[in-house]
Amino acid sequence: MKRPEQIVIIGFGPVAASLVEGLLPAVTAGQCELTVISAEEHLAYNRVLLAELAIGAAQLDHLNMVDAPRLEAAGVKILLGAQATGVDRARRRVIIGNHEPVAYDRLVFATGARAMIPSLNGLNFDPHADTALPDSVFALRTVDDANKLQHHLTAGDRILILGGGILGIEAALAIAASGGSPVLVHHGAAPLGRVVDSDGGALLTRCLKEAGVEVISQVKATGITKDENGFAALTTSTHGQIPGGALLISTGVRARTELAEGCGLAVGRGIKTNQFLCADTEARIYALGDCAEVDGQAPVGLLAPGWAQASWLAAHLSSPTDIPAADFSASDVLMLKGQGIEVAAAGDVSAGFWDNPELQATVFADPSAGRYLKVVTRDSVVTGFLSIGLPQTSAELTLAYERGTPLPEDRSTLLRLDDPAVSDLGTAIPSDEDQLCRCSGATYGQVAHAVGEGCTTVAQVGESCRAGTGCGGCKSKIEEMLKKAPALA
Amino acid sequence: MTATHCPYCALQCGISLEGSGADTTLSGRDFETNGGALCRKGFSAASLLAHPQRVTTPMLRQTDGSFTGVDWDTALDLIAHKALSIRAESGADAVAMFGSGSLTNEKAYQLGKFARLALGSSRIDYNGRFCMSSAAAGSNKAFGLDRGLPFPLADLDTAGMILMLGSNVADTMPPFVRHLETVRERGGLVVVDPRRSATAKLSADGAGWHLQPTPSTDLQLLLGLAHVVITESLADIDYLAARTTGLDSLRSSVASWWPERTAKVTGVPADQIRHTARALAAAAKAAKNGGNPVYILTGRGIEQHANGTDTVTAAINLALLLGLPGTTAGGYGTITGQGNGQGGREHGQKCDQLPGYRKIDDPQHRAHVAKVWGVDPEIIPGPGTPAVQLLNSLGTEGGARMLMVHGANPVISAPDANQIIAALRRLDFLVVSDFFFSETAAEANLVLPVLQWAEEEGTMTNLEGRILRRRAAMEAPGEAKSELWIFAQLAQRLGAAGTFSPDAAEVFAELKLASAGGIADYSGVSYEQLDAGAKIYWPCPESSEVSTDPEARNGTPRLFLDSFAHPDGKAKIIAVYAPNKVPSKQISLVTGRLLEHYQSGAQTRRVEELATAAPEAALEIHPSTALAHQISEGQMVEVSNQRGTTIARARLSTDMRLDTVFLPFHYANTGTANLLTDPSVDPFSKMPEFKHAHVSLNPIKGES
Repeated sequence: MKRPEQIVIIGFGPVAASLVEGLLPAVTAGQCELTVISAEEHLAYNRVLLAELAIGAAQLDHLNMVDAPRLEAAGVKILLGAQATGVDRARRRVIIGNHEPVAYDRLVFATGARAMIPSLNGLNFDPHADTALPDSVFALRTVDDANKLQHHLTAGDRILILGGGILGIEAALAIAASGGSPVLVHHGAAPLGRVVDSDGGALLTRCLKEAGVEVISQVKATGITKDENGFAALTTSTHGQIPGGALLISTGVRARTELAEGCGLAVGRGIKTNQFLCADTEARIYALGDCAEVDGQAPVGLLAPGWAQASWLAAHLSSPTDIPAADFSASDVLMLKGQGIEVAAAGDVSAGFWDNPELQATVFADPSAGRYLKVVTRDSVVTGFLSIGLPQTSAELTLAYERGTPLPEDRSTLLRLDDPAVSDLGTAIPSDEDQLCRCSGATYGQVAHAVGEGCTTVAQVGESCRAGTGCGGCKSKIEEMLKKAPALA
Repeated sequence: MTATHCPYCALQCGISLEGSGADTTLSGRDFETNGGALCRKGFSAASLLAHPQRVTTPMLRQTDGSFTGVDWDTALDLIAHKALSIRAESGADAVAMFGSGSLTNEKAYQLGKFARLALGSSRIDYNGRFCMSSAAAGSNKAFGLDRGLPFPLADLDTAGMILMLGSNVADTMPPFVRHLETVRERGGLVVVDPRRSATAKLSADGAGWHLQPTPSTDLQLLLGLAHVVITESLADIDYLAARTTGLDSLRSSVASWWPERTAKVTGVPADQIRHTARALAAAAKAAKNGGNPVYILTGRGIEQHANGTDTVTAAINLALLLGLPGTTAGGYGTITGQGNGQGGREHGQKCDQLPGYRKIDDPQHRAHVAKVWGVDPEIIPGPGTPAVQLLNSLGTEGGARMLMVHGANPVISAPDANQIIAALRRLDFLVVSDFFFSETAAEANLVLPVLQWAEEEGTMTNLEGRILRRRAAMEAPGEAKSELWIFAQLAQRLGAAGTFSPDAAEVFAELKLASAGGIADYSGVSYEQLDAGAKIYWPCPESSEVSTDPEARNGTPRLFLDSFAHPDGKAKIIAVYAPNKVPSKQISLVTGRLLEHYQSGAQTRRVEELATAAPEAALEIHPSTALAHQISEGQMVEVSNQRGTTIARARLSTDMRLDTVFLPFHYANTGTANLLTDPSVDPFSKMPEFKHAHVSLNPIKGES
């Protein structure tokens, strides 16, 4: 019998957790042996909920994404607190600081990313180190970060959030929801930058303000000012000093690639892989998630593409035959989390009505009602959309975008999905042939006849023509017809 | 006047019969599940009793393919001869049986006993595999016991909130809707269905709300609801600590299903997910403080999938998080479909089961049943093969060569119908017992005429686990005979061990002994008490005191109030995981039922009133989707995939999602929806993927 393949994963974030989940059947079946090496002491946790953790809307044990006893019972080896220091590709083993080397047949880099700290006066900046930041300056990537944020919230500090991306907006909204004072500071014309157009961006800004987020746009930050408590203000060339008690940095992420670089793998904005997530020429080493530049696409810092990659890679590593490459680029949908503002966006919505004959733009705007929709399509397939205040439309557009299915020819169909009137049944005047009672099939005409024959109660009508004798749902209609009937002399 | 019950669904509405044959009058009877109400199917059921198409004599296929009437001795001798010679050549497992959730408890019990003792075959399974198996597997895993509703149906009358997933009772069992009146008045009916079904419409106008996920994402939706309950600390921690195990695994399994992610996969907006979870938690909390109870109910829509058991488990987990099962504050239940879908899954028709919901591979269980049967436990065969495998292997190397079908029409009701027909045609000998020439009977070598509901005695167990009497109101036409008689005759010819009584009361007396001490214990139930109107819910052990007071509920009306049926008395929370799906561009097909028809339509398509109301398969499709495929209202459409093609008439409706079409599965020939369905099965329940298939749509030019 063939020796089971040794698969080793470096990193244990949400994407690695998903990959482990996908490989579990193969592990259970004895097809492969799986080892996960994690530098952190924590099991994978859901960083999407860190803002909720900070404001007390979720607890730490709600964030855990891994059922370690279950994985270990299936035979997965989990090495926590194990810092991989090198990869010996010739001998196919991972060197670990405080542990004996681990041999592999296939190696997966899931080392993730760290927060990108912008070059600002007063911040020590080293892109490849977990920089020691001044007090009161932090990102929101770890449980420690969430604890710091919580500390400042409790102190009632005005909190600056630097960066207008989705994670910054979500943090600001969570802070506002908990009664704090968030200030969203960003350099674009409106938050969410590239994925919104100007009208949508203006509406988004207004929605954020209504939700209690102060928004300062088109800011060029140059440095920070500190006092005895640490952070005191953000220095800008456009808006002078913007004071605050803490600075939450949300300006994107940078792939953790040093281990890969150290063993000679090609690195760009992440570990470079082909469309099959393969990072070497021998198909032994893979990379995915926030540490990987897949087929020339820089990592986007969202979980969805990483999870799609994990799912594909699990199938690839478990399958005895080749499976086709997947397109992970459709998983870039942003859906703003919770807090009463409904925004979803994906792809590119910059196309105007007359810019490019191949791209059709459709726009609906009702800003006073907080609703806005822009959809860009090519051959009826969505290439980008922005949807504000239209939750059902957002959900359906997301599915259509990710599947690549064409939109209805009449685009206004999409708006009717959120039409509160749509579920009301027809108000047309029924004819005698129309069915009144679904259960018995009795028509309006038959009921009218029964009423005309002298029936005065629903039960009598039922005895006469069976209407109203099934689910009882049409009783009110029969009562109405009885009421309208002229009283018998 | 004979008081009995409707022949169709598991609601088992009370009816009264007067007269006989073509002069039978049927009327609704005041019974707790229907309160005197009936649907169209029930009202018209008597028209099938003296139907001209009824099979009234054994019919033997001739070499030219036609059927000729033969006498019973000829028919029975032939079956015995075939069974014995095939067994001698290929072993006992070469003869198989296929039963039904429409048979009485007595017949279901006898079918299992006949297969094991008279045929000596392990190859027995039944159409309930296509119906209740996922719900049964989920309940057994979580609670250690499977009874569709572990509480009386009338408990729903007081509900403050009901989450109903994948069930369209307004069409499938209309009088059920009477039990939803109060919850609708309270604004608490929440329906999950990819269609805006008749039931989903009951939630309109302030009666509740409708969640309309894209097909086959129910599991993800349930994980999303559980995520909100957990992360917002809405779970009933005291209940979970006292009455369940496994919470920690559940926490990690739902951590990644926050509402926005769930929305992206399901198409249900994140705020609706939050709103629903919070409303459920608030209602559950109120229920525990003396408010109105809260129920989570599932139907085939979420269960008939290759991950159906996991989806049921996720629904149960949600109910457990809310602290509902085994309390008076509500609970979880599955809405059984077939008339005796409950009793039919308890008494030995399942390939791995013996009467009383006993396990066929448990030595103690085998010993108990063997003793009642008066045989050596060694001669009872071991576990057989579940339905899809049983049927698809017919006539292949190692598969059965002869099949006996009772009360089922798998040509219409099994997945991937082309494969099923091919399998039946590979058989050496097919015997079908039916009262009509169903599509499966048309494939048979021999068709045996059997009794209809109004001509036989027996018991049925309804959707709430209540045991009911079915009573004979008239003689059967022609030479139609009960299956009990057929089994008795054949057992004799086959030299079977044990006894096979043709009398329902005698068989029931034996069933009581066989079920005694089992999970589904009927030993304290008697025909006399049932006839006197006693309300009896299993388990009802022999020691139970049974009162015939119409107010009294006997046996175990509400299960789990003290403990669950696992040895530690606790419910098991079992974490389930949803695979990351690759998005597909293809249209999704969902299948289901119409108000006018029951199951394979073998009966209801022969009722003139019903056939006129719904004569052919209609493809429900959103007008925008229809336009994109150049399909107009009323046009014939080819619905195809790699398995087959179904032809149906387009019916445009905005009740459909843009990505989904619907076909009813009641129709024959080119209208058979199951030509398209996927025979992949659930790893636990062996339920096939009935409720989701990818299809392409092509309008047929010039036909409208």
